Amino acid sequence: MFIHIEDLKKDFILGKKPIHILKGINLDIEQGEMVALLGPSGSGKSTFLNVLGGLVPPTSGLVKIKDFEISKMNENELCLFRREHLGFIFQSYNLIPTMKAIENVALALTFAGVKKDKRLSRAKEALSIVGLADRIDHKPNELSGGQQQRVSIARALVNSPEIILADEPTGNLDSKTSEDIMEMITKLNRESNQTFVIVTHDPEAAQYCTKVIHMKDGVIERTINQ
Amino acid sequence: MNKQELLLLAWENLWRMKFRTILTIIGVVIGTASIIVMVSIGSGAQKSIVGELSNIGSITTLQVYPDLSSMGVSGISGGKKDADKIILNDDAIDDLKRIDGVMAATPVISLSDVTMETGRDEYSVSLMGLDYKALDDMRYGTTDGKKPNANEESSVILGQEVLSTFSYSSGAASVETTEILPADLIGKRINLVVSRTNEAGEEEYRTEKVKVTGVLEATGGSEDYSIIASDQLVNDLNEWKTGIKINFDKNGYSEVLVTVEDSSVVTTVTAEIEAMDFTVFSMQQILDSMGSVFGMLQILLGGIGGVALLVACIGIVNTMTMSIYERTREIGIMKVIGASINDIRDMFIAESTMIGFIGGGIGVIISVLISLLINLIAGLALGGESVTISYITPGLVIFALIFSALVGMLSGVRPAIKAANLSSLDAIRSE
Repeated sequence: MFIHIEDLKKDFILGKKPIHILKGINLDIEQGEMVALLGPSGSGKSTFLNVLGGLVPPTSGLVKIKDFEISKMNENELCLFRREHLGFIFQSYNLIPTMKAIENVALALTFAGVKKDKRLSRAKEALSIVGLADRIDHKPNELSGGQQQRVSIARALVNSPEIILADEPTGNLDSKTSEDIMEMITKLNRESNQTFVIVTHDPEAAQYCTKVIHMKDGVIERTINQ
Repeated sequence: MNKQELLLLAWENLWRMKFRTILTIIGVVIGTASIIVMVSIGSGAQKSIVGELSNIGSITTLQVYPDLSSMGVSGISGGKKDADKIILNDDAIDDLKRIDGVMAATPVISLSDVTMETGRDEYSVSLMGLDYKALDDMRYGTTDGKKPNANEESSVILGQEVLSTFSYSSGAASVETTEILPADLIGKRINLVVSRTNEAGEEEYRTEKVKVTGVLEATGGSEDYSIIASDQLVNDLNEWKTGIKINFDKNGYSEVLVTVEDSSVVTTVTAEIEAMDFTVFSMQQILDSMGSVFGMLQILLGGIGGVALLVACIGIVNTMTMSIYERTREIGIMKVIGASINDIRDMFIAESTMIGFIGGGIGVIISVLISLLINLIAGLALGGESVTISYITPGLVIFALIFSALVGMLSGVRPAIKAANLSSLDAIRSE
């Protein structure tokens, strides 16, 4: 199994009382699937995605991606893992405002130790995949929300990760732009067999996915394959 | 992430916040420049004073005297102590010559209150009697003319200052016209006149005609104010004047000059001669004690300059800490897209080290300019002479560069660790 999650629990300590955010999640995801995590706010879907991406350590349970048990990795191992296997897309894009689009995309490769000319050519390539070949020298504040999100998708793609985790990728976009973005993600998923896990509260966006997981109160309510 | 990429990234990061980077660098520039300029003034003073002393070449000459302290004691404890006293005679000189590194040891016979007549003028001078056979080993140089040969016992060398300092004019002409240079006397014959009072209470004069063969290079010692003559001549004049024949073997010489191979053996030879119970005086001893005084002066001046660098250091810490708050989100993003804890830490340390190093580099350039300016202005104030008030040694430049980079690096450590330990998730959520 590509992604294997077993009895995943996550508590946050608020004051003295632990709050159970994830209450025992079991899930398997195949390579090349495009999974939507759907649920109301507070359902734990974002926390689940963050645990999956190694940004938050689980309280207990097993999270295994390929042969890596990321629930047992330390922070440096997680960094290396993210660098090689994961790409992230955020609701608020998370681009570095002082860097041009191409620099933002190339930054992901900098830490992987890719040489500068190669970095720039790969960043350019990734930006042209998302249709921004003519915007590479623009800074984030010179781009529209949809364009910024495409830059962030390009950044997630640039190191050719097997898994891309997206947290509300269309959350800040209007419906037309949201459609464009989801179509682009679908296309990438089909063409490059990358696995996508997308957190959303937008049922429209979930329609693009091959599997929709409904979460509520820290557990999986139901899973629909479509 | 390799080091080169890291430095490049740090460099780019610095220029993304140009204004603050430049301000912080200016702080380091001022700090470094004030240290360098301060220390350079200390070095300048040292260079001009020590330089004046050591340039004159007498650093390899040691003056050896009979043990002066025990002479004082012998008077109190009577003749017994006198018998133990080591006499500075020819046997002792042979012992001195056997010390490793000693090239020559020759007694000096001095005679003061001698009148020198150049034909028109008279000067009161001292004679320094040396063994001419040892002259070549003694490293006395001449600025004009040459040293007399071993057999030219009636030839003399004039000290640099022999005419200027103790001169007086006997003729009616003004000072300017009677003032002649020692070099003008080369090849000429001069009279050395010694006087004594005989038993009848009458003044008697003895005149020796000698030939000037050269002018001695300045040594900084008593030679500059003396005429160097052969030991026999001076001894003859001395015996005639005092009426006493000195037995040097029994009474010893009052002074022996020891010439050593080079300045590196001065200290060891000095120690060995002192172990023989003689008193040694050398330029090296003065230079040593001056060296420690100037060392302290430089530390003091450097410390004053260091206050400015300390302020700059606080500036770096401030800039880097502010930078973390400002770039928290950026740090979070970098960690999410694959920067390791070490990458973030090294990146911040590299940034602050660069601030230190660049500031240090510019500080060096500026302090060189300031140093030139100080010397120029001081030169003009002293009437167009070239003076060294401020002297920047290569060592000082290297020290300043390393020190400023180190200060930058250390200033960055704490902010860098703080940045590296930020939780990536919290960081990207921050605004």
